[in-house]
Amino acid sequence: MKRAPIVIAGTVVGLIGVLKFHTAPVSLASPAGSALPAASASGASPAASGSSQGGKASGASAGSASQQSGAGRSAVGPSVYYDYGTLSVRVTVSGHRIVKVALASLDDGSNARSQFIDQQSIPMLEQEVLQAQSANIQGVSGASYTSAGFAQSLQGALHSLGFA
Amino acid sequence: MGTVITIDVYPGLAATPGQRAGLSGQIQRACDLLHRADEVFSTWREDSPVSRLRRGEISAADTPAEVADVIAACEAARELSRGWFDPWAMPGGFDPTGYVKGWAAQRALAALASADGISGAMVNAAGDIASSGRMPTGQPFRIGIADPAAPRRLAEIVELTGAVATSGSYERGPHLIDPRSGLAGARAASATVTGPDLGLADALATGLAVAGPDGLAFVEAVEGYAGLTIGLDGTRQSTPGFPFALR
Repeated sequence: MKRAPIVIAGTVVGLIGVLKFHTAPVSLASPAGSALPAASASGASPAASGSSQGGKASGASAGSASQQSGAGRSAVGPSVYYDYGTLSVRVTVSGHRIVKVALASLDDGSNARSQFIDQQSIPMLEQEVLQAQSANIQGVSGASYTSAGFAQSLQGALHSLGFA
Repeated sequence: MGTVITIDVYPGLAATPGQRAGLSGQIQRACDLLHRADEVFSTWREDSPVSRLRRGEISAADTPAEVADVIAACEAARELSRGWFDPWAMPGGFDPTGYVKGWAAQRALAALASADGISGAMVNAAGDIASSGRMPTGQPFRIGIADPAAPRRLAEIVELTGAVATSGSYERGPHLIDPRSGLAGARAASATVTGPDLGLADALATGLAVAGPDGLAFVEAVEGYAGLTIGLDGTRQSTPGFPFALR
């Protein structure tokens, strides 16, 4: 009998510390009603301005700069190896909110299984990020593994925006 | 296959620049502990002490000290789960992975929790989360539980004090082993356990996913731990103390 994948996947193997310094309660400080970027930025900025310097991330105050523009600022995270190839993620933020998450590049070797998995999982991951934000949560507990590379690139993109 | 571990550190609102700068060192220590755990316990690395133990090349007495600690903790978890979590019943021999991931994350958290100037910290090992403290605002951490029927949605939200672990077959297909038959089998689509220690929570969640809702009795009997099962039909059952948060 084949070994159970939990044995495999559960292993603390080749792990990568994805480090986040929260310079402000970025994750999701805005109340559910504040869907408008400007509203959420102004709501969260007192905390941000007090704590935006220092730490590794360089300043959540950048959020206040972009709130006027409305369009937001975007960045592409590093290209990251995941189970089926490499990918990178582009994120757009406005104020203290993530307004868009999308794949910037994907190389899954073009084999059928990889493509199948990617087609299933990537829209889901994009959605997950936005939903986590609107639910005001700091993490998700679940049997989720395909998200690893995605999360890592996203994190890098957010870092480069000084966002998380 | 690897596991991504995310470390979140929340500096307190009054943290000084010096305290913030010091956090890098603390996080590095936490990462070192995780890498060390990987070297010792990996069942993928052929030369890891645990791989050699599994092949019978060395005895438990020849392994690093933390292996004995983990073996003892696995025995305790097997006992507490009434046999539903059993690393000795895995195909391929003793496999503590179901405990070790949480154990390692909990140790990494301990290296962070003592840092000066932080309000809270979280170590998230692919969806199993150890935490201490709170948000800088004083609010407890809130953690979503993925919906097994649609993992992009949240089934529930918990207010976290300590650890939360979720087991289920939904993302990677059937893989949970029923220790009683040695075959793949799970009686819940998803099982979540909260409690003070992520190693034990992880082990109990693994057992609970296999046992199904009947297993909530063994979770409830462990002081400080609570459980939630989501059935294949979406039915939710939980122990009385489960820390549901308002949506």
